[in-house]
Amino acid sequence: MIKGINLVLLVTSVVALVGVYAIKYQSEAIANDMHALQRAVNQQRGNLSLLKADWAYLTQPATIAPLVARYSEALGLETLKAEQFGTISELPMRPQIANDAALTALFAALDAGVDPIGDKLAELLEQ
Amino acid sequence: MSLETSVAGAPIALEGGRKTRKNMTRSRIHIAMLGLLVVFGIIGARLVQLGMVETSLSDEGQARSAITASRPVIYDRNGMEMAMDIRVPSLFAEPRRIIDLDEAVEKLLPELPGVTSAWLREKLDGDEGFVWLKREMTPAAQERIFNLGIPGIDFVTESKRFYPGGNDAAHILGAVNVDNQGIAGIERYLDGEEIRLLQEIGLARDRELQPVYLSIDMRVQHALRAELVDALERYRAIAAAGVIVDVRTGEVIALSSLPDFDPNVPASALEEGRLNRVTAGTFELGSTFKTVTLAGALDSGLVRITDEFDARAGIRFGRFTINDYRGKGRILTLPEVYKYSSNIGTIRIMQAMGKDNYRAFLTRIGFDDALPIELPETKRSTIAETFSEVGAATASFGHGLSVTPLHMASAVAAFVNDGYQVPATMFVRTEDEARQLGRQVISPETSRYVRYLMRLNALEGSGRLMNQIAGGYMVGGKTGTADKVVDGRYDTTKNLNAFASAFPLNNPRYAMVILVDEPKAENEQSGRTAGWNAGAVTGRVVQKIAPMLGIMPEFGDMSDAALVPVELLSAENQADS
Repeated sequence: MIKGINLVLLVTSVVALVGVYAIKYQSEAIANDMHALQRAVNQQRGNLSLLKADWAYLTQPATIAPLVARYSEALGLETLKAEQFGTISELPMRPQIANDAALTALFAALDAGVDPIGDKLAELLEQ
Repeated sequence: MSLETSVAGAPIALEGGRKTRKNMTRSRIHIAMLGLLVVFGIIGARLVQLGMVETSLSDEGQARSAITASRPVIYDRNGMEMAMDIRVPSLFAEPRRIIDLDEAVEKLLPELPGVTSAWLREKLDGDEGFVWLKREMTPAAQERIFNLGIPGIDFVTESKRFYPGGNDAAHILGAVNVDNQGIAGIERYLDGEEIRLLQEIGLARDRELQPVYLSIDMRVQHALRAELVDALERYRAIAAAGVIVDVRTGEVIALSSLPDFDPNVPASALEEGRLNRVTAGTFELGSTFKTVTLAGALDSGLVRITDEFDARAGIRFGRFTINDYRGKGRILTLPEVYKYSSNIGTIRIMQAMGKDNYRAFLTRIGFDDALPIELPETKRSTIAETFSEVGAATASFGHGLSVTPLHMASAVAAFVNDGYQVPATMFVRTEDEARQLGRQVISPETSRYVRYLMRLNALEGSGRLMNQIAGGYMVGGKTGTADKVVDGRYDTTKNLNAFASAFPLNNPRYAMVILVDEPKAENEQSGRTAGWNAGAVTGRVVQKIAPMLGIMPEFGDMSDAALVPVELLSAENQADS
């Protein structure tokens, strides 16, 4: 009886011993992984901040302006003039339509489901 | 057990002794069990206790990476980075932990360009705990050195402030020192605000701070600075400055002062003559003050836009006589006084208003104190507490009193913004917020007169060149050519030229003040007065920035005609008929 209990206890303690060591090594491995990941994250953050800085520097007007000046001739770039701006309302009214009857006929045809221009295009495509 | 069997037939007396011994053994076992129970109990309790402890996540390396405090990212109004932290690795060694000195030197040397073997050996030798090998390396170099696997060599991640725009917004941003503390500009203001406190209690280390959005538009800022740089060269001036303010919100859209410095090299900020002239320099802004005088006089109701003033002869004050520069020598209407920039006419207008009223008006538009703004570099204006007769006379055309260009920009902004003055700010602000902060300094009626006068000067007065360059953007403004004071006397060969303007005047959005210090004539044909330089710069700036700010040009006389006040229209009609 006692022998049996002792055996059980012995086995249990051996199992526990092995288990504890296994957990210990496992946790050490995990801690190592964690540190490696943390290092990687830190490094990536550092890289990211540098890339962001790079982007900010490259998109600054102070960086782009000299490039514009240098390549303005090759690319045909010029400063926008005030005269080049316009609004829709500044457009002149539509001129009087010359052939009113023909246009009315066209709209009538379209309404009826016949598309003369579309048909022409289809013919051209077939050829 | 063997004893027990051998004495099986022993007498009773022995039996009792055996029993006693048996009892003693049992109690010993019990005591031992109890002892073990207590020991295991303690171990168990300790285990539970350890299980409950929360291990701090920071390891040694992380704690070190926060050596330098971090600062918030600064964006312009469109979200473009103006200042940011970059995290750069720095290499250090712990000489006492280095095992093989020769190996370490041999392996490290190729990775550290510009370092001699002797220097490195000396650094790594010895019993010190910490020596810097190289500050601010590239991540690629860090990777390579890390992979060498030399014991006693490690990295610290440091924050370094980086200004991608370089000189562009130097005076706005200021700079930081090696400890990442602001020493000038917005950086210093931010420290005073909150960061210093956070840094002290260790919260601002290595963590994202709330980003800051400035009212500056980097595109406009660059355009303004580029034009000022051009002006320095073109007019061989010693300094130039400019500021653009949103009249409705008080936001400073651009602010530049030359010569400036590179915030990435903070030491250059301390060189002579690099002060922020817009907020920390006070100047006699000359005739640009006539806008102020006329606005005050018209608003007082004591002077009307249709009034006429005698400018035939100079005005005598004791020994002094004040005359006009290229005077007309006749009676001038109020718009003509402004258009021809008549000193005599302006004095008469000021006198009609009353010198004490004029002084009170300067207080009302905030000229008395240093202009409150979120920059540490500010300066009080110099204006006499009370004006003498002659003091008031010279003050009416901007001499004998000095204010900062930002004071003038803020006043002009108020004059064209229906008389509603909003305090200037460097941070983004909505129009609703601005409405609550501002106050009425002149009536909307007077504001209309001032807009007309400013546009008139651009069309027919000293702003003609400016208007020609600016094209159809409805700019109007007043020139100011002031002789500089050298050794207590006005030196007529040295000018400080200013142009205070606003655009587009049919729907005012922006006010601008441009300053050119000691300009020379551009060529034989051009003059030295403000219209030729400060005015021309204004025109070029407007032409560049108006499309960025979404302002449509207007051509034809319609919009200009709409600015003319009714009183003058009827006067013209009467003259015609």
